[in-house]
This record gives sequence, C-alpha cells and structure tokens, in this order.
Amino acid sequence: MLILLAGIFLLHIATIVLLLVATIDNSWWVTQQMTTDLWGTWVNQNGNWNLTSVVTNSQEYLQAVQATSVLACIFAILGLFVFIAQLFTLQKGQRFIFSGVFQFLACLCIMIAASIYTDIFHKNDPGQYGYCFILAWIAFSLTLISSIIYFVLRKKVK
Amino acid sequence: MLAFLALASIALVGIAPQCQAIVIYTGWERHALVGSDVRLSCSFFSWRWTSEDVTFSWSYRPDGSRDSISIFHFTGGAPYVDNKGPFRDRLEFVGNPGRRDGSILIKNLDFSDNGTFTCDAKNPPDIVGRPSSVRLLVFENLPVQAGVITGAIIGAVLGLLVLIVVIYYLMRFLVARRVFNLSVSKHGKKGKGKEGSQQRQPRRTPPFSFLSS
Repeated sequence: MLILLAGIFLLHIATIVLLLVATIDNSWWVTQQMTTDLWGTWVNQNGNWNLTSVVTNSQEYLQAVQATSVLACIFAILGLFVFIAQLFTLQKGQRFIFSGVFQFLACLCIMIAASIYTDIFHKNDPGQYGYCFILAWIAFSLTLISSIIYFVLRKKVK
Repeated sequence: MLAFLALASIALVGIAPQCQAIVIYTGWERHALVGSDVRLSCSFFSWRWTSEDVTFSWSYRPDGSRDSISIFHFTGGAPYVDNKGPFRDRLEFVGNPGRRDGSILIKNLDFSDNGTFTCDAKNPPDIVGRPSSVRLLVFENLPVQAGVITGAIIGAVLGLLVLIVVIYYLMRFLVARRVFNLSVSKHGKKGKGKEGSQQRQPRRTPPFSFLSS
C-alpha cells in the first residue's frame, strides 16, 4: 500500500518536472542554426549562441501557448500540495477528487498548449520538433493517467 | 560636524564644473499607426539655469540609410521647422523651451517615416552632452505587446479558480447555517434528530468545527 502511494507521488512529481522543463526551455522547434519557442529564439552565429525574440505572424497564438503551459505547471504544483493535504484530511473510504481535478485541469491546459502549437506554428518551415514539444505531449498523457488514478483511488479503510 | 559640511560643500563646488554635462532624455522607441500623429518628446537635465540661448535640434535618419538630415531647430527663442525635407508641412513644435521641453509633433505618418530621430539640446554654457535618439516604428495594425495576452489568460483562469473555490465554501457555509438555524428553532424530537446529525458533520469536515460550539 505504501509502495502504491510512493508510486503515485513519484508520478505526480514526474509530471511536474516534465511540465516545468517543457515550459521553461526554448526548444519546441529546432533547425541547424537555431532552436526556438516559447519565450525566445537561440540563433547560432559562428559558434556563438544569441538570444533574440521570437519572430512570428501569430503573436496572439504564441502568447496563448505560453499562458496555457504556465497554467498547466501551476495546476500540477497546486495539485501536489492538495494531494498531500488530502492524505491527512480525507475521510476513510473517500476518493481524492480534489487532487484529481487539479491534475485534470493541468492535463487540459497542456493539451490546449500543445495542440495550438502543433496546428498553428511551423507548418511549412524546415526543421523538426524539439525535445520540449515531445515532453509536453508526454506530460499530457502522464497527467491524464495521474488524474484518472486520483479519481479512482480510495483512501485506505483500516 | 560643521567642518565636515563645509568640506563637503567645497568639494561639491570644486567637483561640479567637471561633472557639468547636459543629459538629454528622449524615449527609446515609439510605435504608431499609419496616418496617425506621433509626439516625440525631448527634455534635458542641466545643472545650470535654463538660459535664454537654449537650443534644440532634431535630425532624422531613415531606416537603412547612413545619412541624417536636420529637420528642426530652435534657437534665439524661435522654432524653425522643416520646409523642404520629408516632413514639410507635417512638423509642428509643441514643446516649451522655458520648461526644458523640446518635443515635436509629426502628423499623418507614413511607412517611409520609419527611422531614428535624434534630439540634441544645448543650454549655454552647458554644452557638453550626448544627443539622444528615439526610434520610430510605423505599423499598419498595432501589434500586441509581449506578454499582455499571456498575463490576461493566466490572471483570468486563476481568478476564476479562486472565485469558484470561494463560492463553493460560501454556499456550503450558508446551507449549513440555514439548516442549523432551522434545527435550533424547532425544539423537540424533530429538532433533536436534526441536531444529532448536525453534531456528526463537524467532525467529518474541519471547516465547520466552529458550529458544534
């Protein structure tokens, strides 16, 4: 039983780490000379990396992706604290609904962020998706699993 | 103490001539829409009083060009605006030299007005200083400033969350209080039954512990 609890806790921490890395590092799209999004573009000129601002025609969509990925991080971190609080205050036999709701909101937000990014940006550009983009989608699936576990899990009776 | 003050004041008077340099302030960048007017402000800081021979001059360097042309000069108490260059009939002096303000107004902007405007002010005998430049960017539609939409979305969602939590706890508090009031007003078996169930509730949900007293 304790192992299950530790596993769920570690899963939650893993989602938080993935979400934070995907949001903070500027690596949603990479080419030979640059790695870009969400907050800036690193351009490699003669061996030096310079940070410039993101040049795009869809400024509003970029800001929406920024906002929703930050919100996903916030909800996941809040969900962790809510889970720890519910461990102590929940009545026996009850489900961890509140924690599940926060994880589900985080899942929703990162899904919105990754979907908007996939649909709007870099449709015909040369290059490929960077590791942060992949981490965002992995974080989506992990948060979904985590929230389902919270909705199904019951506090131990005796 | 007095000796220290005297020494400091002498030092200041002695040092002042060396740090006498005029400091000119303009904006860093100005964004404007095509066809609109833009006010380019220029003011300066100087240790001297504002002299009668104060001068302001504005010059313009188009984007991509290396030459700059002079478009405005204020001297001898009178402004002289551009009457031959790219800004003829579009430039107006809206500053107040007595208040150290040498701002100009450019009307009816076009895309060819993109460039760098440099303001140079001189307040005799304080003439050593660096001119300051402001970059003008003319847009068809004003772009959204970085971070405005981001902040708005985050703020709105978090505010909604806080509101929902507050309303939820408020509703539970109000409903519980109304039930408690009803059970108190009815004395007898029915009331006692209700009170009994009321007693069990506070133990389950901590926020209602104050009701049991």
